[in-house]
Amino acid sequence: MSLKRIDRVRQLTLLALTGPNVLFLAVFCVAPLAVLFSYSFFQVSFVDIVREPTLANYARVLESATYRGLVVKALLYGIGIAAVCSVIAYPLAFFIAKRVRVYKAPLLTLLLIPLYTGDLIRIFAWRVVLGAEGVLNSLLMWLGVIKEPIWVLLFSPFSTVVVLTYNYLPFMVLPLWAAIEAMDDSFLEAAMDLGCRRTATFFKVVLPLTGAGLIAGFMMVFVLVVGDYLTPQLIGGSSGVTVTSAIHDMFGAAFDWPTGSALAWVLLTAMAAFITAAVYLFYKSPWGRGIRRAN
Amino acid sequence: MRFSGWAALRGYSIAVYGFVYLPIMLMGLFSVNSSDMIAFPLTGFTLDWYNQILHDGRIFKGLLTTMAVAFPVTIITTVLGSMAALVLTRHKFKGKTAFLALLVLPFFVPKLIFAIAQVTFLSDVGITKGLYTVWISQSMIILPFVTVIIASVLFRVDKRLEEAAGDLGATPWQTFRRVTLPLMKNGILAGSFISFVLSNAEYTVSYFTSGRAQPLSVLVASDFRFHLSPSLNALAMLIVLFNILVIVISEWFRRRAVQA
Repeated sequence: MSLKRIDRVRQLTLLALTGPNVLFLAVFCVAPLAVLFSYSFFQVSFVDIVREPTLANYARVLESATYRGLVVKALLYGIGIAAVCSVIAYPLAFFIAKRVRVYKAPLLTLLLIPLYTGDLIRIFAWRVVLGAEGVLNSLLMWLGVIKEPIWVLLFSPFSTVVVLTYNYLPFMVLPLWAAIEAMDDSFLEAAMDLGCRRTATFFKVVLPLTGAGLIAGFMMVFVLVVGDYLTPQLIGGSSGVTVTSAIHDMFGAAFDWPTGSALAWVLLTAMAAFITAAVYLFYKSPWGRGIRRAN
Repeated sequence: MRFSGWAALRGYSIAVYGFVYLPIMLMGLFSVNSSDMIAFPLTGFTLDWYNQILHDGRIFKGLLTTMAVAFPVTIITTVLGSMAALVLTRHKFKGKTAFLALLVLPFFVPKLIFAIAQVTFLSDVGITKGLYTVWISQSMIILPFVTVIIASVLFRVDKRLEEAAGDLGATPWQTFRRVTLPLMKNGILAGSFISFVLSNAEYTVSYFTSGRAQPLSVLVASDFRFHLSPSLNALAMLIVLFNILVIVISEWFRRRAVQA
């Protein structure tokens, strides 16, 4: 085959492989999001959507302290849970990457199983454990540790934090594990030989070298927590009013799709802004050294 | 590696695994406890709850719907995911970053917003909800996962094997058919099994796009919103056990591919 023909074949192959994916995603993901975006400029009159462009929906959402509060609350939950997950996941990822030899693969699979069984089953299991007449309360009462059930265990911010952490922990462990696994041990040996203390070694050597994994995990957990609406609703009780449940209400009972889409787009914009800022700051920080070096 | 805290780290890791499996273990324990109440003390062993689930016609219908969704979704995501993984690991081209961004876009959009976008889109275009709308919206959510799994296998396949085939006079199609495809076979199998499991588990998107045909996850959700019963425990446990089986098979395929 001539070089020109090989080039042509390569281009056709590329087109054949990317084409269906691009088409599929453009029609069924980008287009629906664009339609949703267009609704944020429409208005509702009784039971009809009036298709005359207006910015009134955005004004309403941005002026309302309630909606602003819900967006901020969602971002704070995202940051908080991602931070908790990284603290819990780091030692575990370190142990699996650097100490476990034979059972590495099964241990990682074991971590993924609850993840793959879906949000619903996991939330259900936690309701069984945490309920006022649930397993934990009844066990403590039966053992005589407490006399009255502890109500805060379910339908509270506490239970929401526990279950969200539980749900998204694997998304933090996996990238961290991959980053720590790739880290060369001789850097650690060198730091210790040169008299670096353990905490200093961690902050000056380990963390910069595994920064890419940390920021990847942080982003994923953040995005998933902000977007979660099942957990707060089924576990959080009255504290479970979130921006996602507010959006849901506007598409359900309230029949206010325009305001709902405006709120959805405010949330998406806030998420994108936060992620961009976080990644940029991390990249510039000493901990982002590992990422800068990889590029 | 020189580090003295391994014993503490081991204990800690065991504790985290305990945390991860505690709710599932307790669910299993109470699915065979004879009391109506899901609470201590235990009252005795029974398989009645499982018996109830196996004879519930509504559950069986939901299971059929779940399967009618899962098989097409598995096929769509495995085919598209394999193609995307091939592009990401084997081709260099302008706009590759944009292509990757497009592929992971559904992962970064909150599921609820994604589901609502689907609903507005369908109503605008005038499509009635049915099984096929669930196929498409679920595929979109699952595609990033399948692509990553297949790509993780392809990354480790030595490119020199394909180059050698080309040097020996194989056409690109022959190279793909005789070299690349056999090498990525296990990755494709692993991806398809995971796709199947994720489809079974998917709730949010299915709930919004399913219309009248309700998969198992939607049925279970409407049940436990109002009342927790031991028979729901039994059902959840059956789902978990089935998933463990499928995931273990899938991981076995993937590891075999990576090690080979």
